[in-house]
Amino acid sequence: MQLKSGWLTMNSKQKTKDIIIRTTTYVTSFISVFVLASILIFVLVEGLPLLNFDIIMGDHHHTYLPGVKIPYTATDSYYEYTPKAGEYYSPRYGVAFKDEQTLEGEPIIELTYVAQNSPFSRAIGIGNHAGEIYALEVGQVFMSGILLWSDDYFTEGGSINPDATTIPYQVSEGAKRFAEALEETFYIATIAPVILGGGIRGSIITTLYLIVLTLVIALPVGILSALYIHELAPQNWFTDFLRSLIDMLTGVPSIIYGLMGAAFFIPLAQSMFSNRIDSGSIISGAMTLSVIVLPVIIRSTESALDVVPKDYKLASLALGANETQTIFKVMLPNALPGILSASLLAIGRIMGESAALIFAIGTVITDDVSIFRQGTSLAVHIWASMASENPNFALAATISIILLVVVLSINLLIKLITYKFMKRFR
Amino acid sequence: MQKMNQKSNIQSKKIISYVLKALLLLTTLISASAIILIVYQLAVRGLRPLFGVYTVDGFTDVKLNIRYFFTGMEYIGYLKDFNLDGVLEGAYGIGYLIINTIFNVGLSLLLATPIGILTAVFIVKMAPNKLGQVLQVVVEMLAAVPSVVIGMFGQGFIAGIIKNVTSVTGNFSLLNTVIVLTIMILPTITMMSTTALRAIPRSIEEGSLALGATETQTMFKVVLPAAKSGIFAGVILAVGRALGEASAVSLVAGGSGSGPNFNIFGRTNTLSSRILMGFKEVSEGSLDFEVRFTMGLVLIAVILFFNIVLNAIKKRVANYEL
Repeated sequence: MQLKSGWLTMNSKQKTKDIIIRTTTYVTSFISVFVLASILIFVLVEGLPLLNFDIIMGDHHHTYLPGVKIPYTATDSYYEYTPKAGEYYSPRYGVAFKDEQTLEGEPIIELTYVAQNSPFSRAIGIGNHAGEIYALEVGQVFMSGILLWSDDYFTEGGSINPDATTIPYQVSEGAKRFAEALEETFYIATIAPVILGGGIRGSIITTLYLIVLTLVIALPVGILSALYIHELAPQNWFTDFLRSLIDMLTGVPSIIYGLMGAAFFIPLAQSMFSNRIDSGSIISGAMTLSVIVLPVIIRSTESALDVVPKDYKLASLALGANETQTIFKVMLPNALPGILSASLLAIGRIMGESAALIFAIGTVITDDVSIFRQGTSLAVHIWASMASENPNFALAATISIILLVVVLSINLLIKLITYKFMKRFR
Repeated sequence: MQKMNQKSNIQSKKIISYVLKALLLLTTLISASAIILIVYQLAVRGLRPLFGVYTVDGFTDVKLNIRYFFTGMEYIGYLKDFNLDGVLEGAYGIGYLIINTIFNVGLSLLLATPIGILTAVFIVKMAPNKLGQVLQVVVEMLAAVPSVVIGMFGQGFIAGIIKNVTSVTGNFSLLNTVIVLTIMILPTITMMSTTALRAIPRSIEEGSLALGATETQTMFKVVLPAAKSGIFAGVILAVGRALGEASAVSLVAGGSGSGPNFNIFGRTNTLSSRILMGFKEVSEGSLDFEVRFTMGLVLIAVILFFNIVLNAIKKRVANYEL
């Protein structure tokens, strides 16, 4: 009896212990889910409001349009419009504005409505563009340089009043004050519209260039190396040595690749295209990335070749094909899905790489992309906008959304391809 | 005639075959020489500051103070008269960076290893089939998130939480760095551990269960120790990754100029993020430029050192093979 109860207590002790351990395991194993979910939610919440076509297709730098003057507008001019919330409307000119901020936090005013036939749609260029007609458009902003003449611009007799008064106005005074000032304004002598920057078109194009160039360099080298090592290489110390040299590449931190890019590939690209490149370039970046993705491509091509049944090779050889014919006409075509997923893996790596590219290309964000010049990939764009004096979370999160969508779907695609590929040979 | 044609055909095919084989060998040699190129470039540039002389801001024959380089606790980044004898030397102390790097990685390992192993145990042994698969995909997705995005998440989100909960005021702290590093290496450890656990034969488990051990006991006292070697391999990979991580760390560490810092609320800095900092301002060939390569050499030395040590431990720990 005593023995039995003793056994029972031990058993129940063990049971509670088991339950505690199990619960801890359950809870901890969802940390990964929690972290991934927080990253996704954070990125979506911060970045979605900014994600639109303008940012994807827009320039990074502001475009300063030529300064213009607005035709004389008499006091009896009137345009009908009901302003929306946050808008300030000037019936005399038929334009509405709202307060905005640049990415750097400077106050600006944005044109949100232009009435049909408003004086703003008949602006006249000044300076070099004198006489040209411009229509100011919704979405353009004003940062500075506004000169307003009040209603006493002309004398009774119709000549220009030498004592005419200007209406003092600074953009920092806001959109409300501007709309009010316009009501007393007879003639806007200068106003300089600006198309706001902050877009990432340049970085998207740079990323695409980098992907194409890198794959053009790394895919042939990687696939041929994998074919040699897997199919042709004799089993001796030299092959093992080559293989371990290639394997070592995977352990190299990307910052070291970056140092090599700065020390070797930038000068190499410069000497290859002499007098066209004077610093880091997309070419030197692609060369550096090629080295980074090389082991990835070699390894996954090899594992694709592993899956192709040995019978295929033996059958081909038995039919009289020589080794190279077998490799290129039997093994390679059958391993193609694996090679496809190798290139997808490489694309994922290229898109996510930042540290190496900061060295091998630089962090100068450009709109006018050329492979002979500097540029930033999307990942470097994130880094550049976060590492600056006033980090721009919204933009970084917006780029992250694009990056994550592409990278994560590439990963799912690879899983799908691998699954189908494995199934075919089973 | 026909025969001769055939013969030359075979001959040309043979030549093509040889050419192709040579081409394949050549590309393999190119691939293999990449690592040699990296080491060579790094060594050539990185050793020059240790032995050569530079001209800095008009001062000629400036040398790097080597003792201060390895043991210094402040990265002054300029010249200093160390012996007060009028000889200016480069004052780039990275001793504190080495200590910080190792300390930060050690802390994040302490966090990531148990979480990773428990997650792996859950995925492989406890979870219902479908849930396990979903978790596996989640872990793989987490591994695919680019490091710069994790860095941004650290500065934008984790920093906010830390500011609310603790006395930290800025976006940068050692705690933040450790959490970011943990997120980065957690999927590596988890994935390697699941592979190791899957490789354990079912018979071992059954043996333990038959002897009266509970399922949990079997899991943690039999299966897990049996998978030790594979799990250790994951940890080694993770250490390498964490030691070299630059862009994510540079966004949350705070880039302190001196140290070492063991206060989890203080700012920190690591070797790789220091190499990254301010790189765009330096001109090629200057001391400031080439000392980064020396730091790169030190980083590789640190990574190699831990690789060798951990591999030795792994060999000793995994004393029985299945």
